[in-house]
Amino acid sequence: MALIELDHVTYRYESASGAVVTALDDLSLRIEEGEFVALVGANGSGKTTLARHLNALFIPSSGTVRVAGMDTREVQQHAAIRAMVGMVFQNPEDQLVAGVVEEDVAFGMENLGRPAEEIRQRVSEMLVEFDLWEARQRPPHLLSAGQMQRLALAGVLVMRPRVLVFDETTAMLDPAGRRKVMEIVRQLHAEGVTVVYVTHLMREAVQAQRMVVLSHGRVAADGTPEEIFARRGELRAWGLRPPLAALLAERLRKRLPELPEGILTGGRLMDALPVYGGIMALPAGEDEPFFPAAREAAVRVEELGHIYLRGTPLAHRALSGVSLEIGEGQSYGLAGGTGSGKSTLLQHMNGLLRPQEGRVWVGPHALHGSQPDLQAVRRRAGLVFQSPEYQLFETYVGDEIAFGPRQLGWDRARVRESVAWAMEMVGLSFAAYKDRLTFGLSGGERKKVTLASLLAMRPAVLLLDEPVAGLDPLARADLLGRLRQLRGEGVTLVMTSHQMEDLGELVEGLSVLKKGRDALRGPARWVLAQDADLREAGLEAPLPCQVAARLRERGWPLGEGLMSEDELVAAVDAALAGGV
Amino acid sequence: MSEFEFLRNLPLGQSVPGDSFLHRLDPRVRIVMLLGLLAGLVFSRSLAGLGVGLGLVLVGLVVGRFSVRFALRGLITPLPFLLILAVLQVFLNAVPDEGRALFTVLGERVTWGDVWVGGMLLLRFAGLVLGLSLATLSLTTSELTHGLEKLLQPLAALRLPVRDWVVVVQVTLRFLPFLAQAAERIAKAQASRGAGIGGGGSLWRRARQALPLVIPLFLTSLRRAENMALAMEARGYSSGQAHTSMTEFNMHPRDAGVLGLVLLVESAMFWL
Repeated sequence: MALIELDHVTYRYESASGAVVTALDDLSLRIEEGEFVALVGANGSGKTTLARHLNALFIPSSGTVRVAGMDTREVQQHAAIRAMVGMVFQNPEDQLVAGVVEEDVAFGMENLGRPAEEIRQRVSEMLVEFDLWEARQRPPHLLSAGQMQRLALAGVLVMRPRVLVFDETTAMLDPAGRRKVMEIVRQLHAEGVTVVYVTHLMREAVQAQRMVVLSHGRVAADGTPEEIFARRGELRAWGLRPPLAALLAERLRKRLPELPEGILTGGRLMDALPVYGGIMALPAGEDEPFFPAAREAAVRVEELGHIYLRGTPLAHRALSGVSLEIGEGQSYGLAGGTGSGKSTLLQHMNGLLRPQEGRVWVGPHALHGSQPDLQAVRRRAGLVFQSPEYQLFETYVGDEIAFGPRQLGWDRARVRESVAWAMEMVGLSFAAYKDRLTFGLSGGERKKVTLASLLAMRPAVLLLDEPVAGLDPLARADLLGRLRQLRGEGVTLVMTSHQMEDLGELVEGLSVLKKGRDALRGPARWVLAQDADLREAGLEAPLPCQVAARLRERGWPLGEGLMSEDELVAAVDAALAGGV
Repeated sequence: MSEFEFLRNLPLGQSVPGDSFLHRLDPRVRIVMLLGLLAGLVFSRSLAGLGVGLGLVLVGLVVGRFSVRFALRGLITPLPFLLILAVLQVFLNAVPDEGRALFTVLGERVTWGDVWVGGMLLLRFAGLVLGLSLATLSLTTSELTHGLEKLLQPLAALRLPVRDWVVVVQVTLRFLPFLAQAAERIAKAQASRGAGIGGGGSLWRRARQALPLVIPLFLTSLRRAENMALAMEARGYSSGQAHTSMTEFNMHPRDAGVLGLVLLVESAMFWL
């Protein structure tokens, strides 16, 4: 008998508009004890719905789910099922219940009715293991993002579950946080815990032993990652893409036949890279980063410092001595791990935060001055926040986008014209979308509406906080393309991200922040090549940069500062041609 | 200071940790003593009774090694309201207008009796504010929730959902910083879109201007509540189940002695 058995499970629910949605459609699946299963599929394919059936949060409309033989339909078994199947959700903050850390860890065991002595013992163990002992008396909302993530895990693992379900746990984490979670997952798996890992990141899915692909509520494919990604023709229909490492490996294998077939992870690709056999010499590296002379400055920051809740016991420093200059029409990136201060810096660029230390200019406006015209600053530099749900409020898309222009007091014709322009710029057809319901849109569409709602005010500078975080791969590629087009229109772009691949595709200049300070600053192609420094800041160079660095180590004559896949492949070609 | 730092105004987690005699008392004893004190301050009818109450607050602050000056400073914010209330009480009380008029304002005779009730009100509210400060200084939220749960335990025998009430209190306290942070993000996002540029206007217009803040606040709160409910269920919580608690309290003879003594003094407030 398998540990978890789903037999002909169908799950239907009524959507807000009254239509009946079939989220799972006659789905059968078996998960054995000790397996590590990645659950993948496009948005809306039923991954989360399936995951929630595994611990009886959802009960099938028809069919049965058995966990260690217990039918999830029987309510009196729920306590035992949930003690056995732990679940880690996406946003750690939403999972924390108690007023202080140690009580939150204890919550699950208290619900199971374990004796107080045993609970205290287990809670202490977990606090030490997850490096939360010092913080055990703090309220959760005062923890750092990393601590919160660890606390959310500790609160589930304290019950010693036999199965752990991760529901897109890493979607919003920075690379360092993601590495930490993956490390814990691998360790749990090694200890014999069954892991079900829901993700839309293929480079995480390939770490599993087994991949289950969902499509329209059914199991479309089930096999090892190698088997799944060998079915190249079907991937697109499932809404998937091979991991970047696989694509890059394939292109390189045409040139370097010694690379083995079926490489799926960056680690394996790097290990398999051959030593250079040619005779071309290593080109001299550029020591000093070359930075193009700035045009008229759109934003200038000098020695900026900021302390949140200054003058209270909760005060903490977010920025210290940060400087940068962004030319008009330039695109600039702010990179850094969670809590590095990049959002704080961005909020200084449209006057939401005023400089406590140092100086900030936005165009002609000096924000450190005594009476800056904040409305003018905000009209010039528009800020788009990460989460659309913090700003959407109108019923119809058209009204939502027209909100800003109407606030500016523009006349009807001008409002209409700028709304139409903004919608076309983000790829939402004016005719088709202006009367759509805002809250009926998909995640990617909502993101576009928030972007258009700022664009409609015709800002000269567009400030974007994590513009593509949490989007699935197709929506992400689409939005990045739109931003590139905006850059072509002469809009100055400033964006934060902890994904170096995203920044690499878009920005010319780049600052890397670490604990509120400039760790690196310069042209993007130079910054992105500094893998060691990036790692120290909790980030990771894009894979092509890492591969180029490894090839250079193995004697390949490749120039410094390579960025994209195409550049890498061209450089390898040149080296091979030179070596013959 | 930033116009957007909403968390700054949140009076949570203000309890001051310490190792004083007061801190070492069983939390249940502290809760009962503070409730008795507040009840005494509300219902006491004499100056002597209020005096005893204020005296107890002072003793509590000193024994807990809290700054008395800090507690007194807490009176400054509500003081204007208290003064207005006291003045209203002077003019609008139900004490029969007997005796010699002290003076007359706008045709209203003000007697000693009127001034007396106004003064009592001022003293009563000052005592209540100080008593509540003492409570927030000396009880952590977790001591409060667990203490209440233990105190209400007898009601569980009547099949009343005591644990659920306590979890409701706990989750509510968790949500306050949530709300402050969400409100901050929303205000920032809308300010970036020029919200609040107009200002003023008719009531309808102003109500309409609040929508960009209120609607996202409701929607994000509802979504979070839903997520939290799922996470709680996934961690084995269900309403009305048997459960245990990591926190255990032990009454010592010392606790009982202090409780008896303080309750005796507090009961005096009712009869003086």
